Amino acid sequence: MKTIIKTSILLLVAVSMSFAQGFKVKASGEQTFNFEDKRNQVKFFSTTPLEDITGISNDVKGKVTLDVTDVKNMKGSIIISVASIKTAIDLRDEHLRSDNWLSADAYPEITFAVKNVGDVKVLEDNKIEAKVTGDFTVRGVTKETVAVVTLTYLDASEQTAQYAPGDLLGVQAKFNIALSNFEVENMVVGQKVADEIEITATLRGSNAK
Amino acid sequence: MNSKQKYVIISALILLAAVLIWWLASGGEILSKDGIWVDQEISELDKALGLEPQKVYQEKFILGLLPHTAVISGIIVFVSAILFFIFKSKKTKEKK
Repeated sequence: MKTIIKTSILLLVAVSMSFAQGFKVKASGEQTFNFEDKRNQVKFFSTTPLEDITGISNDVKGKVTLDVTDVKNMKGSIIISVASIKTAIDLRDEHLRSDNWLSADAYPEITFAVKNVGDVKVLEDNKIEAKVTGDFTVRGVTKETVAVVTLTYLDASEQTAQYAPGDLLGVQAKFNIALSNFEVENMVVGQKVADEIEITATLRGSNAK
Repeated sequence: MNSKQKYVIISALILLAAVLIWWLASGGEILSKDGIWVDQEISELDKALGLEPQKVYQEKFILGLLPHTAVISGIIVFVSAILFFIFKSKKTKEKK
């Protein structure tokens, strides 16, 4: 009997946990957030014994659709303009856009397209952490990549109206890529530029139509 | 080595030291930079959105060891070497 009760409790906990994978906010149903805020930023960071390089783009756009009560069904993509990436050295920016690196003319965009969402943890009623698997495309080469993402949902208010009308979704994401996986094979990779690049995205989206 | 040659060497060393101090005072960067990333103060709304502080780009030239300081040092060494040999040949001529 005790075993049955224990099993039932465990099952109940497991079932309730599996359902608690969304936000507890005023909004409900499927919401689409457009990421068009000029403050949105994606940062690329390379560290080698010779030099640390930070590249930043503020030309980041995209769209994400999610069910407020079940973020596992999230879909969408984020697009970064290659030409907009700045590294604080104009000549290096030119090199970055060249065929030896990111081939900005042939492949003007870097994209992350959401495929699925797992390991969802509800941190607060309006804050969720999850592992988002997506197709990351650089130089036309696509690799499946997993990003650790924190999503924060804010219902529309006077405060959120400072940025945009409608509800706001804050996205803080981090993941690493290897340049060699994307056919970026330059002689300075591994010396002045690390093969492994840390990517951080700080995004604000609004569901206003 | 005559007094003029000594003067050239001392001047060159002083100039090279000045360039080194200038480079160190500019931040001691290896590469010259055209801008800097400045940490931006996070707004209350960004905090509420769970976002981390961002950086803002500011145009600012920072002298680096490469290429500017190296080029200036090279010019100093080159000009000093030419002057050194000019003064040497003048002395040799005077002796003759």
